[in-house]
Amino acid sequence: MIEKILISNRGEIALRVIRTCKALGIKTVAVYSDEDYNSLHVKQANEAYHIGKAAPKESYLNQEKIMEVILASGADAVHPGYGFLSENSDFAKLCEDNKINFIGPSSASMDLCGDKMRCKAAMLKAKVPTVPGSPDLVKDVEEALSIANKIGYPVLLKSVYGGGGRGIRLVNNDKELREAYETVTGESIAAFGKSAILVEKFLEKIRHIEYQLARDKHGNTIHIFERECSIQRRNQKLIEQTPSPAVDQKTRDRIGELVISAANAVGYTNLGTAEFLRADNGEFYFIEINARLQVEHPITELVSGLDLVKLQIDIANGEPIPFKQKDLKMNGYAIECRINAEDTFLDFAPSTGPVPDVTIPSGPGVRCDTYLYPGCTVSPFYDSLMAKLVTWGQNFEESRLRMLNALNDFYIQGVETSIPLYKTILKTEEYKKGELSTDFLKRYGIIEKLTEDVKSEKSEKKEPALAAAIMHSEYFKSRVISSANSNHSWKSKLG
Amino acid sequence: MEYKIEDVEGTFNAQILKNLGNNEYVIKIGTQEHQLKILHMDSRGIEFILDQKYHKAKYLESATAQMNLVVDGIPMKLNPNSKFDEIVYKNTGGGGSVDAQISLRSQIPGKVVSVNVTEGDSVKKGDVVCVLESMKMQVSIKSHKDGVIKKLKIKSGASVAKNDVLAEIE
Amino acid sequence: MHSEKIEKFLEKQNKALTAGGQDRILAQHEKGKLTARERINLLLDEGSFTEIDALVTHHYYEYDMQKKKFFTDGVITGYGTINGRQVFVFAYDFTVLGGTLSQMGAKKITKLMDHATRTGCPIIGIIDSGGARIQEGILSLDGFADIFYHNELASGVVPQITASIGPSAGGAVYSPAMTDFVIMVEKAGTMYVTGPEVVKTVLGEEVSFEDLGGAITHGTKSGVAHFVAKNEYDCFDKIKTLLSYLPANNTEDSPLVVSDDDPNRMDHNLINKIPENSLQPYDMKEIVLSIVDNHQFFEVHELFAQNVMVGFARMHGKTVGIVANQPLYLAGALDIDSSNKASRFIRFCDSFNIPIISLVDTPGYMPGTNQEHNGIIRHGSKLLYAYCEATVPKITLVIGKAYGGAYIAMGSKYLRTDINYAWPTAQIAVLGSESAVKIMNKKDLDAAKNPKELKKQLTDEFNEKFANPYVAASNGSVDAVIDPAQTRPMLIKALEMLANKRDKQLPRKHGNINL
Repeated sequence: MIEKILISNRGEIALRVIRTCKALGIKTVAVYSDEDYNSLHVKQANEAYHIGKAAPKESYLNQEKIMEVILASGADAVHPGYGFLSENSDFAKLCEDNKINFIGPSSASMDLCGDKMRCKAAMLKAKVPTVPGSPDLVKDVEEALSIANKIGYPVLLKSVYGGGGRGIRLVNNDKELREAYETVTGESIAAFGKSAILVEKFLEKIRHIEYQLARDKHGNTIHIFERECSIQRRNQKLIEQTPSPAVDQKTRDRIGELVISAANAVGYTNLGTAEFLRADNGEFYFIEINARLQVEHPITELVSGLDLVKLQIDIANGEPIPFKQKDLKMNGYAIECRINAEDTFLDFAPSTGPVPDVTIPSGPGVRCDTYLYPGCTVSPFYDSLMAKLVTWGQNFEESRLRMLNALNDFYIQGVETSIPLYKTILKTEEYKKGELSTDFLKRYGIIEKLTEDVKSEKSEKKEPALAAAIMHSEYFKSRVISSANSNHSWKSKLG
Repeated sequence: MEYKIEDVEGTFNAQILKNLGNNEYVIKIGTQEHQLKILHMDSRGIEFILDQKYHKAKYLESATAQMNLVVDGIPMKLNPNSKFDEIVYKNTGGGGSVDAQISLRSQIPGKVVSVNVTEGDSVKKGDVVCVLESMKMQVSIKSHKDGVIKKLKIKSGASVAKNDVLAEIE
Repeated sequence: MHSEKIEKFLEKQNKALTAGGQDRILAQHEKGKLTARERINLLLDEGSFTEIDALVTHHYYEYDMQKKKFFTDGVITGYGTINGRQVFVFAYDFTVLGGTLSQMGAKKITKLMDHATRTGCPIIGIIDSGGARIQEGILSLDGFADIFYHNELASGVVPQITASIGPSAGGAVYSPAMTDFVIMVEKAGTMYVTGPEVVKTVLGEEVSFEDLGGAITHGTKSGVAHFVAKNEYDCFDKIKTLLSYLPANNTEDSPLVVSDDDPNRMDHNLINKIPENSLQPYDMKEIVLSIVDNHQFFEVHELFAQNVMVGFARMHGKTVGIVANQPLYLAGALDIDSSNKASRFIRFCDSFNIPIISLVDTPGYMPGTNQEHNGIIRHGSKLLYAYCEATVPKITLVIGKAYGGAYIAMGSKYLRTDINYAWPTAQIAVLGSESAVKIMNKKDLDAAKNPKELKKQLTDEFNEKFANPYVAASNGSVDAVIDPAQTRPMLIKALEMLANKRDKQLPRKHGNINL
């Protein structure tokens, strides 16, 4: 039985894992870099160890150092969170070699899933449909160009070791492909230490629909419904929701079967996510299995009533999944907005710095997973995700309205945030009708709408703003009466 | 006093008409009168009821030409001296100096991954001047105008801070 | 009752308000300049300005001057508050006879300055003037002299700030030069002793107003301007910010500005700002920003003599003056301009009870005939004198190199510095290891079979033995070697310990600093 877990991550996901561990009576070990001395996850864990400098490769990606700490602290398991080392099979293997329980899939199945080409091959064998693209890794930019021209532009350049939106670029022609080839290679090496590129057909008006899957060490496989994550920017998800407006119960079951086949095909263990693209004609294409707990897992938790981190730990302990597929029922509707420290108007450029004040929304059906607290700092070294704002309602409309209210209540001072963007998206007719696609922002001119919304919001507040402004002058005028205090000791000094 | 509000059309005249005592006032905005009761006030912020509606405003750092407020969570910038703007900005242009037009500044802190132009190159507005890496994302910094690269202030591998001058383009 | 008298009074008051007349006001606006009263109202708290001597006029008869009589006579004087603190302000009024200074104008200004010194409040002057009123001849020049005398009377008694938002030429520029801080507005303020026309006539040199004496010139080359403002708004903002750091007069302490910044805040990243290779430059400002309250550092003389940084900041709410070498420029070496810049700043802080914190990383003085022939010896000695003379709390932190004369000059222990700290990366030595070895081991190196190898060996030995803070620590020249992460808490503790420090000089009229 796992007794002490080291979390090789930071920010909100580290806090998330700590929360479940506390509930289960499992001790926690946190690790932190120079940037994170004052982080909440350091304060909330039972023990905390400093592992290196701010740059990820010197700290959160430093496998040797982390293993040192695991052994020194006596932890018997490690939870990698998402990003960083969560899909690094070398690290998973290192844990296996040191007899440390890695809470996630085995290094072998991680290798298989991480290698998009091998994974694709396994899917084809299991009769799970995949997206047209390069049969294998492209050797160089020339091969990429030839394949792109064969399957037809637009295409996606994807790094095999990508994820979380990194190492993916959409290109429309040869020139863009050449430029993007360099960028994609660079991003991939920077974030994951490796790079290898493949080319995939880009489909129009697609919806990104993924399934949460779980498989224990005894071969029991289940899926815990779908999540729709179509609203994205630069291939990174912005809003996730479940159930998907494009999935009825029949489709849910049909694709669910495919998901279970896929998980079995790669001999997967623990929790993972099978990602699909749904074309406009209703066809589903398998993309990949993300061999980790995803950022958006809270929405699945809210509609299923499960604690997915607990499920991960149970599976890692060797326990069988305590329920069958038919026992799982979806309840209500959940939406998640990723609150990023970004300036929407500057092409989502990261915004960093101290956060002197924060007000975190709450109330029935409102959940916020975040590392923010008044006085914390958003670091330029790490991801721009500051908080996950999640709402649950009996139906879509209730959940949507709760989210709008929660967004209005959420105040973060000191950095630019994507909060105004989400308010605008959630108010559009298209969103209400569930007309989602991965090009949602561009297709419905969201940025222009946002500009208008920001202006009208300010216009609505003009009277209270003016009232506050003139009272400010009054306040200072009243202090003028006591100006004599500004030089009061002068009189008493003689000589 | 006359105020201009950023992103809102028009100039607004606001003044205190009557001080009714007990922290109650009658104020006038434009031609409209409003009832105002202050619940709490100090140099950092104010909570008040304006015409039966509750509002909370924070006072952030202010300058002669710009009051920074956060009103009910919405950041707002007010200019109480807008009538002088035309005169004050006459020789130096829009609150910035000639420097602002020549200098291409970085919007974010980061590391220079690549420099895509050399001194003397002609660029068009939108051309990629360099690529910065920040928060594991690569962000292309594009030229803010048509012109010629007069000076490059960065090289590959350098670290830049927010607002650092990356290049001078004339 | 008395309605006629009231009417007469109102008529005069209104006339005084428009001073030079509506068309002159329009002309001023056309040039992109605000009028004197508009400036004063933007600078001071709303509605706090009380004018005095509004109805003063000149009493001159030559040159038909009686026909050109205006109320206020070219300068607006009065008092008010800035953020609730009382100040005295005068502003030259360009709309009246080009803002030229007359005998009466000078009387107005000196009366105001007397008020300020008697009540112990800061003086702010806004310059926008054609200079002396030629018609009044010697009377005008005497007027300037009287103003200069009052500048001297007030110097070190109350803070004096000058804003240059227009021309100021000839003798008129000396008043600003005698004040504590000069702010010039880009493309508006100009200061020079002799104008471009005379320069062309006498020397045949062609130069524009801006190049000769504009804000950028004085902010970067001559150091006459301590601050360069983008425009008039920025100018007033800077004045307000500057005043917020200063006490009202020399008997007070600076105002306490409570902040949420924990006085015990540690920064474990601080040590990483110093590159491993001591020859590589780094930005000293990052270190300053980390240790002060709320990352706020109000830099003075930002563009002048950039190899040293000076400015105001707060530590645990109290104003401190920071003097720091800047390795980004000239590797942080000291030279003539930086010695002057730092000395003046230190003496200002000493006048007004502001503690001084010095951050040291300097390889020495700039060599060369330029420096020597221009008197680095004289100018360098000012820095030593200023440090010794200052009796405010003084704390020095050696961060990197501190060699030879520059080590002494940057607030070393025996210049009457109260607390000296050093980081483990400090290298306090007589010379850099390379040079030291060349001199002390010359014989051995000349005789060696492999001089390069021997040199490296000797240099490494020297570094081991001397290029560190421990020799200094073992002698008490440094009070402690501190953990860089603890810099802020250590400095604040030292400041609190020294808060009630009292120290005196021997009585004398004044010393003889090598000017």
